[in-house]
Amino acid sequence: MNWGFIITNAITLACIYGTLAIGISVTWSSLGLINMAYGFIFALSGYGAWLASVYIAPNPAVVMVAGILTGAAGGLIVCLLAFIPIHDKPNFQLRALIATLAISLVGNQILLWWFGPRAKSLPRLFGNWNADIFGIVVTSDKLGASLSAIVLLTMILLWMRSSRRGLEIRAMMMNPHAASIVGIGVRRTGIYVMALTGSLAGLASVLLAQTYYVAPFSGITPMIKGLSIALVGGLGSIPGAIIGAIMLGVNEALTSSLLGGQYVLITQFLLIIIVLLIRPRGISGILDKAREA
Amino acid sequence: MNVSDHGVRPAVLDVKGLSAGWGPMRVIHDLDLTVFAGERIGLVGLNGHGKSTLFQAIAGLTGWQRGSIKLNGEEVGRTRSQGPGRYTHLIVRRGLAFIPQGDEIFHGLTVEEHLDSGAFTKRAWSERGIRKTKILLIFPPLEKLMKTAVGRLSGGERRMVSIGRGLMSDAELFLVDEPSLGLAPKIGKAVVEALMAVELGGSAMVIAEQNVALLEGSVDRIIGMHAGKLKGEASASRAMSAERER
Repeated sequence: MNWGFIITNAITLACIYGTLAIGISVTWSSLGLINMAYGFIFALSGYGAWLASVYIAPNPAVVMVAGILTGAAGGLIVCLLAFIPIHDKPNFQLRALIATLAISLVGNQILLWWFGPRAKSLPRLFGNWNADIFGIVVTSDKLGASLSAIVLLTMILLWMRSSRRGLEIRAMMMNPHAASIVGIGVRRTGIYVMALTGSLAGLASVLLAQTYYVAPFSGITPMIKGLSIALVGGLGSIPGAIIGAIMLGVNEALTSSLLGGQYVLITQFLLIIIVLLIRPRGISGILDKAREA
Repeated sequence: MNVSDHGVRPAVLDVKGLSAGWGPMRVIHDLDLTVFAGERIGLVGLNGHGKSTLFQAIAGLTGWQRGSIKLNGEEVGRTRSQGPGRYTHLIVRRGLAFIPQGDEIFHGLTVEEHLDSGAFTKRAWSERGIRKTKILLIFPPLEKLMKTAVGRLSGGERRMVSIGRGLMSDAELFLVDEPSLGLAPKIGKAVVEALMAVELGGSAMVIAEQNVALLEGSVDRIIGMHAGKLKGEASASRAMSAERER
């Protein structure tokens, strides 16, 4: 058994899925929107990155920026279609769930129709070399994926801590009703949030495409994983999502090397059920010391 | 008190023929209200007679509303049958500070971040350091709590944060809903006294309160509210005796 391999795999997966989970979590808690089109944004930005690599340059920076920008654009599309028109109508949460699901289905079919079913592969962004960290051999793509996810997430979290816009997003995550009272526009913040979370999906897409491929439906499984991590972490909690990502990353790496890759979803959902049985509000129920309401 | 000089001062808030409510329920009935610059008004009345709904209608938060609401001469009211809160942030940015009942707070933000969130104009945001120091002078107990999450504060401290948040912006009109509600009498009194100490200048403040004794002698006008309509207008002392008779 190669523990080094399992650990590095776990960390890489945790970084990628954690990025997605934070995106889903932030969208839910600030806009009250469970973004079922997140998988579509994911696949779309994979194609954006692929187009950039073919038509512009197979340069790592170009590919990554293209993926992130396409993701942000995808987020904006979802925002314009499924948030702005209906956010103050009755039963918004249900409507938004259906609307985003529709966008996801239609969008994925359009991708299939436009690009065909054959999977595309992105150029290797981080070269082909190995690093030796404390006796554990780490391949370049894993190291690169983990580092870039951590760097981008740290930047976003710092921005959310220090800027007025970030404060607005955090305020809206905690109490959307009170947010309007302090002059925070729900629609405008919604646009920022969706572009931001879309760009997170774009990054995750480019990073995951280093191991897998870009395909019309490649976003579905990552979205389910991101959503379940967000649930385990407690929807709306960023630290919860990070811990949840590490838990599920370890679980996925362990399961695929001990039992086999096909059992990953089974053990993952078992783990989620156990956590939610003990802590119905997810991990953030343990972390959050503030009183609700 | 200084009722006489109404004609000279500009109206900060001018409400004409306002009706508002929730779904099939009509809470405010054809209400007229004018608030002049520099005024501090007490709005008294029993529970369920529309004090909070009036404030929410001014902020655009009721289920539906119709009638004219002019904030600094600009029309912010409109006939609206849905979308509560859709225009609230725009109304707030025109110069409204709404301090709602039950402290709409962000429970995970610290006191400091909370005060920052009230500074929504560019100018207020760049001056937020100075403004926070001013608010700490009004509410000294908050100084030690600046880094604490608001969700962990007591009711009185939350109320101070909530009012402080309203004071961070350059508001022209302060609507304070039940500042003493749910607080121990002594703390409630301190909160109301702090409100009275706020220098209004060209702005105005309307305080909805059930406990008339708290407002006695310190507000310019007291207006009664009954069944969705304004009833009588009196200087502070006369309203006091009327309230006692009831």
